[in-house]
Amino acid sequence: MTVTIEIEVKDLDFYYQGDVHALMDISLPIQKNRVTALIGPSGCGKTTLLRCFNRMHDLYPKHRYEGEIIFQGKNILADNIDLINLRSRIGMVFQKPTPFPMSIAENIAYGLRLKGIKNKSELTGRIEDALKNAALWGEVRDKLNASAYDLSGGQQQRLVIARALAVEPEVLLFDEPTSALDPISTAKIEELVATLKKNITIIIVTHNMQQAARVSDMTGFLYLGELIEFGATEKIFTNPDKKQTDDYITGRFG
Amino acid sequence: MTTEQKRKIEGFIALTLSGLAAAIGLFWLVYILADVLVNGLGAINLALFFNDPAPAGVEGGGLRNAFVGQLMITGAATLIGVPVGVLGGTFLAEYARGRNIARIISVLADIMVSVPSIVVGAFVYAIVVRPLHHFSGWAGAFALSIIMVPVVLRTTEDMLSLVPWTLREAAFALGAPYYKVIIQVVYRGAATGILTGVLLSIARVAGETAPLLFTSFNNNFFSTNMNGPIASLTVTIFQYAMGPYKNWHAQAWGASFVITLFILALTITGRFIIRRRYKR
Repeated sequence: MTVTIEIEVKDLDFYYQGDVHALMDISLPIQKNRVTALIGPSGCGKTTLLRCFNRMHDLYPKHRYEGEIIFQGKNILADNIDLINLRSRIGMVFQKPTPFPMSIAENIAYGLRLKGIKNKSELTGRIEDALKNAALWGEVRDKLNASAYDLSGGQQQRLVIARALAVEPEVLLFDEPTSALDPISTAKIEELVATLKKNITIIIVTHNMQQAARVSDMTGFLYLGELIEFGATEKIFTNPDKKQTDDYITGRFG
Repeated sequence: MTTEQKRKIEGFIALTLSGLAAAIGLFWLVYILADVLVNGLGAINLALFFNDPAPAGVEGGGLRNAFVGQLMITGAATLIGVPVGVLGGTFLAEYARGRNIARIISVLADIMVSVPSIVVGAFVYAIVVRPLHHFSGWAGAFALSIIMVPVVLRTTEDMLSLVPWTLREAAFALGAPYYKVIIQVVYRGAATGILTGVLLSIARVAGETAPLLFTSFNNNFFSTNMNGPIASLTVTIFQYAMGPYKNWHAQAWGASFVITLFILALTITGRFIIRRRYKR
């Protein structure tokens, strides 16, 4: 199978407010229809890197990007990028489930309406598709109008994934999506990630190294804002080139 | 005396004193409410709501003009005060979040909440009534809305701040522009809280007399013209209670009873909504 590069990170530096240098000279390719995991100890910059892909940092003042992130031939860090369009193409799922204060169906319709879909039957159809794709349809088909807050944590997280999928993104960013969930819900989300990569590209940040080993094809290890090592997950977890990587995955630090 | 006995006595004294203080406070509250109930209930009849005032000294008549005027003034004040308060609170909690300007406006609004209402009345008299050379319902509504705005603004700001920031990020991550994030997600999350603030602010101004004395003044005749002086329950109560006629006093009691009941109902509804929200 040929490998296409969906996103290319080139010499990326990122500074938070007050010139805090959070990412240093990061370069890595994100392959299309693959799962790329970002691992590393707390504070290493993995979430910071993830939030560069949909320019989430732009919500906060006085941040600064240097370098480039090329997504389908365009530098998404450029000033003239339409963030609304970018974020509808690169979706995100957060650590804690973030259902909106509305019904299950309305949660999914929200993103669709943002895209300008108003036709009722089309909305209904796409809500069903999204819930099926997120493996939630069977559990909620009879209570689509119930509040999203009535769902369990694991169901809420799948609802949020369904909501992100409904707008048909090309890339989906996962920020520690299972850290607030029980083992069974975690297994469901991991299965889901494996299925989803048929259609989209996935980048996942995780604290859980077994999870990275289970779900990802490529793994990047970050430490103190630098990308220490990047390569095929199998190689990173069995025979890493760098000693720091080896120390981290064998649990000697972090 | 052992330490244990000493503590028991101290505890008893503290309990007695605080219990007594609570009883004194409650006594007057119950006294006032009971007084209004006993005297007011007797004055309630259909004529009070459906007749206009009889000429001074003549028995009978009602306060239809004051009920209607009160509703119009309070309604207009709500229409002016609520949008300004909600939008202002939105500015503070969303667009100016964490900036100095937000902190300054918040503090000023807190001060505004405790400005004596007669000062607001005098202020509106100076900037609206004097230049136009006449009292008007609009001036009264404007005065009441000035009292409402800081209440609604602060409640809105607080309620919006309680909506978790991650919820906004989630909406942004779907590609929503900020105004849609606020209107469709943040307002929904804070809706019950804001509604409660609005109800409580209406309850707050519905009982005000001082801001109306210099603005909407009073009118012994039925009028729905907001450009001229218009009757209100509170000013009528003031006038009738001070007046020399017995039936005026009775009608003032009746009006007091109705307005107290109205404010009580609003407040209880507000509290009930808050309780239900935080139970979940």
